[in-house]
Amino acid sequence: MKKLTPYLLSVPQIVLGIIFLTGLITGITQSLGVIPVFGLEEVTFDYYKEIFAKPDMLRSVLYSLYIAFVSAGISTVAGVLICMALVAAGRTKGKMMRVVQIPIVVPHVVVAIFVINILSQNGLLARFAYMLGIIGEQQDFPMLLYDPGGAGVIFAYLWKEIPFIIYFVIGLMASIDGRLGEAAVNLGAGRLSSFFRVTLPLCMPSILSGFLIIFVFALGAYELPMLLGATVPKALPVLAYIQYTHPDLKHRPYAMALNGIVIAISLLSAVIYYMLIKKGSMLLKEKEWSE
Amino acid sequence: MKCIKCRKYKKNGRNIGINIVIMALVLLIVLPMLNLLIWTVTERWAWPDLLPQVYSARAIEEIFGRRGEMLKLFGSSVVISASVSVLSVGVGMMTARALTCCKFRGRDALYFLSLLPFLVPATVFAMGIQITFLKWGLGNSVAGVILVHLICSLPYAVRLLMDGMRAVGTKLEEQAQVLGADPFRAFCTVTLPLLTPVILSALSMSYIVSFSQYFLTLLIGGGTVKTFTIVMVPYLQSDSRNIACVYSTAFLAVTLLVFGAFEWMIRCWSKGNVVKYDFG
Repeated sequence: MKKLTPYLLSVPQIVLGIIFLTGLITGITQSLGVIPVFGLEEVTFDYYKEIFAKPDMLRSVLYSLYIAFVSAGISTVAGVLICMALVAAGRTKGKMMRVVQIPIVVPHVVVAIFVINILSQNGLLARFAYMLGIIGEQQDFPMLLYDPGGAGVIFAYLWKEIPFIIYFVIGLMASIDGRLGEAAVNLGAGRLSSFFRVTLPLCMPSILSGFLIIFVFALGAYELPMLLGATVPKALPVLAYIQYTHPDLKHRPYAMALNGIVIAISLLSAVIYYMLIKKGSMLLKEKEWSE
Repeated sequence: MKCIKCRKYKKNGRNIGINIVIMALVLLIVLPMLNLLIWTVTERWAWPDLLPQVYSARAIEEIFGRRGEMLKLFGSSVVISASVSVLSVGVGMMTARALTCCKFRGRDALYFLSLLPFLVPATVFAMGIQITFLKWGLGNSVAGVILVHLICSLPYAVRLLMDGMRAVGTKLEEQAQVLGADPFRAFCTVTLPLLTPVILSALSMSYIVSFSQYFLTLLIGGGTVKTFTIVMVPYLQSDSRNIACVYSTAFLAVTLLVFGAFEWMIRCWSKGNVVKYDFG
């Protein structure tokens, strides 16, 4: 009985996991041109090849990668720095954390409204700039929304994801800083060097997994690029959805091939993440061993 | 003894730079929310004024005028997300328990499976599964939407609960077993109460993940399952911004009420335990 317990406990998770895998596998087989219902039965890589041959589709791939990487990168760095400040000020609990948690609760579509209200050419920031005489006309304010640079989308992600990283890391950082950081300070390390040499390396796995979660999320998210992004280039999920709902069903494999690219990039980043973690823990072990 | 030096240090460490960073953070979070509130009563707000020229309650009246429709929308949104969060914590507890307390063949595979929705975006999953769901009769149904929301919120719950279980450990539970409690009772009376803060976090996080979904609900719900995001986005696209803002404010208020309810229920359930409110 005792041996069976973990298996019994994992039944619901396995069922749900299988449903998730079914979705992925269906998508991948369809991207290889196998949709028996439509009379497509031969396995082919043509759809992938065509995507890489079409400049606008390739641009979408790069655009999505760029948005995901920039937004996740800035969020992670800024989040960790703010975490540092909060830990140093000893404000890792209570009211402060409630404020930090607000953006996590606000849905992305609402964040889209914030960005339109504040960063559009008619928004609050442009009005402040006009009042201060920085710009003379509405049109002088840089086009942050619907621009090919994706600034509006990135700002929206930053507002959501910096607090996410803080929330994700601060518990661990506060406890490590409290225990080991103190020890390092008592042993004569400066406050900053104890942070960078002790606390930060020990938080690294958590920080990296936070980065991975928001990177993958931004890579595959539909609503923000749909609401705030440019018409050209379109983000991958937006383009995939257009192909997916195309009246001509023969377009469906293109949608799935675009999704296949998203899967490939996500899994690749997961592998890189795994290798980094492994390398980190090996280094730590080697250090222990050599001392 | 050991803390004296660092306490002193921390006091000195509260320098101006850190306070500015914290102030900026709070302002950047709170200002857009205040702006949203202004928009709910805005009738005309032309360039270049910093405040609206004409206020009115038109948007609020328009939405709350259709009371039946609104109640139905709130009802279905809250029911869907609340079911998702309860299921997610239930399944998440089982998975987290299996992963933290036992060594068994396939443990790593289970761990990978539980985290997979972090690694592959929900949009990809949604487009892949839609046809299968239609075949199973789950397409365009509330049950189907709850199921896909559950799949996407589960990894958050598992991660939180695993951290919590690791922190609590199994020593106390083992003691209870040594003293004669059967394993299930030992878990329920010893470990479960210690986990309440984490359970609260997992409930709230799952609720948020479900509540914020747009694409999954759109595709699997097929437009027949109406949640807040599904109803709100068209207003945003058609530039009825004040109406979109009223919806947003109302739904954020409802979310806070739901979190309050979660906290209250957990507190009733675990009387005597100090619940640290910490949603995520």
